[in-house]
Amino acid sequence: MRIALIGQPNSGKSTLFNQVAGYRSFSANFPGATVKYTVGKTYIEDELVEIVDLPGAYSISWYDDAEKEAIKALFSMNIDVIINIVDASTLIRSLELTWELISINKPMVMALNMMDEAKRKGIHINVNKLSEVLGIKIVPLIASKGKGVKELMVEAKRAQPPLKTNVYSREIEAEIHKVEECIEKHVKSVDMPVRTVAIKALEGFKSCLDMVLNTPCGDILKNARRKLKDGVEIERERHAGCMNIFEQCAKVSRIEKKATEDILDSVLMHPVFGYLFVILIFLTTFYIVFKGGSLFEGLIVSAFDSVNSYIESSIPFPLLSKVAGAVIGGVGAAMGIALPYLIPFFIIMSVLEDTGYLPRIAYLMDSIMHILGVHGTSVIPFVLGYGCSVPAVMATRTLRSKKEKVISAFLVTLIPCSARTVVIMGLVGYFMGPVYAILLYGLNLVVVAVLGASLKKFLPGISPEIMFDIPPYRMPTVKTVIIKTWYRLKDFIYLAVPLLIAGSVILALISYCKLDPYINSVFSPVIWGLLGLPVSLGIVLIFGVMKKELTLMMLYQALSLPTFSMVKDVMSPEQMMVFTVFVIFYVPCFATISALWKEVGIKNAIFITTGTLVLAIILSFLARVIFQIL
Amino acid sequence: MMLCEGKVGRAYKIIGIEGGRGVKGRLMHLGIIPNSIIRIKRAAPLHGPLMLSVNGIDLLIGRGIAKKIVVEEV
Repeated sequence: MRIALIGQPNSGKSTLFNQVAGYRSFSANFPGATVKYTVGKTYIEDELVEIVDLPGAYSISWYDDAEKEAIKALFSMNIDVIINIVDASTLIRSLELTWELISINKPMVMALNMMDEAKRKGIHINVNKLSEVLGIKIVPLIASKGKGVKELMVEAKRAQPPLKTNVYSREIEAEIHKVEECIEKHVKSVDMPVRTVAIKALEGFKSCLDMVLNTPCGDILKNARRKLKDGVEIERERHAGCMNIFEQCAKVSRIEKKATEDILDSVLMHPVFGYLFVILIFLTTFYIVFKGGSLFEGLIVSAFDSVNSYIESSIPFPLLSKVAGAVIGGVGAAMGIALPYLIPFFIIMSVLEDTGYLPRIAYLMDSIMHILGVHGTSVIPFVLGYGCSVPAVMATRTLRSKKEKVISAFLVTLIPCSARTVVIMGLVGYFMGPVYAILLYGLNLVVVAVLGASLKKFLPGISPEIMFDIPPYRMPTVKTVIIKTWYRLKDFIYLAVPLLIAGSVILALISYCKLDPYINSVFSPVIWGLLGLPVSLGIVLIFGVMKKELTLMMLYQALSLPTFSMVKDVMSPEQMMVFTVFVIFYVPCFATISALWKEVGIKNAIFITTGTLVLAIILSFLARVIFQIL
Repeated sequence: MMLCEGKVGRAYKIIGIEGGRGVKGRLMHLGIIPNSIIRIKRAAPLHGPLMLSVNGIDLLIGRGIAKKIVVEEV
């Protein structure tokens, strides 16, 4: 049995899901999309059922990518039961989705969530009456406290299709029926229920309209649409119907002023204090994630290093010991990132998500982020990018449009992370002075802005303007935060560990078989010919894909110098600058590539990776040209 | 007048929405429907988005969208 959770954004779907199926769940991408859904299993009365948490959707006629995938999944995933989760405190608005879901005619239960919040807002709902009017079972719920969850699951298992499906007036139902009948006869391969297609085509929803227009039913549809004033009649009736249901089943007493909320908003969204708070919160996050992280990273890496050297010394066969060492090293590299940086980051991220602060940051940062070709919601990945690209890429998960997500993921991989900061400071900053280092940061931002604006122009798809509701402030619960952190971490480890092990084994084999000279000679046309860098740096850049800071650590060895400070004797300032520019922009590290793969799909991950390489070659060549002109 | 010309703190009645079906549909689902009353709660600096209040629910609408919403003062 498969149960789908569907509801409007911020209705508490994920909270309910985590209460039911938290720890053992995993998330997956919809095929060919950057949108995720989560699947988990739970027992209801001794029967193992699958629960699918779909992205939030306002309506069956989708507007953004997340909505589109949620609705499509509803029809393509063999869903047995729908749980329509509804925020009781926004009942009027939420009823429209319920109304549309009823027309699908599948077994369905409504989970009326946030009963406590509705009460605070002065909304009193007569649940029995509502259930009678809609013809579906309704279970009142306070998902955050786990109240009503058990009853809901039992009802879901026994769910029946809605009692009433013909909900529109006779005149409209007649038109729907005509179109429905014709589709049934003449249109093949419709992947939605015919009635839903008929209604949505009548309303003029493009995807459904296209399904019907160029078929024998096109004329019937056009006629019907004319009669219903382009379908506006249906929308009007649905809206009026929902209002009517609300008035029948709910009473609104005098709405109390949400004093605390307004006070919080007036500080957190203030044109001055609001920004101060954003900066404060970013700095704190940054400090906890990266200062705390680097502390543990050292410990973890050195622990793995000692295991590594023990294994290498105890295995007598050199090839085997190298490979074994490389496997351990790969796991160590993954753990060195996952545990220290990602755990605190995921915890903070979940807390920020659950409190409802993120949409408020979007409000403040929207106009600034427009310069980079994205909207306000993308600010978090960008700021995190200065610490580590991996959590930054993973933070693009909160973006709803595919285009916006790909652009942000691309741009954040170009932001110098702490590993690349080591290279900038250690090479350019140390040998050429801090001014040049700061110049590089400025140049980087200009490149990111230009690239962002051009990607926005040339990538297909729309990046819809901000248009969503601001949820009230909510207290995050420990349980949801832990569960969210856990399955995000699990996702990352499953993907990154194999990739890092593979990469580390390949590098070990390269050095074992002494392939460096060959590799260097393969890359010399670019490294030496185009960029004028020492040929021996080819291998350094290959190793840098594993971990960016290796490009600095391996530099003097590759140049066969006894100490690092002698680098200035063999590399000119021009070469240092060209090399650093190259390192800032070229190919993201393995861990970042795996995060990209996870978030935006393999195709986009390849596109971004090649894009960064091309960009790096162009920019470092430009740096060389500029140096020679000066 | 257009919603983007509205003043913070004032209430307005929605007259209509000039825009594609997608935008119209989404706005409707957020409660921005002809004849409903909305209030501009605050406006972000540097031409950022507007925060509106409709039926006791707070919304965030980009200025570009607010340019397409026809309103009148109440």
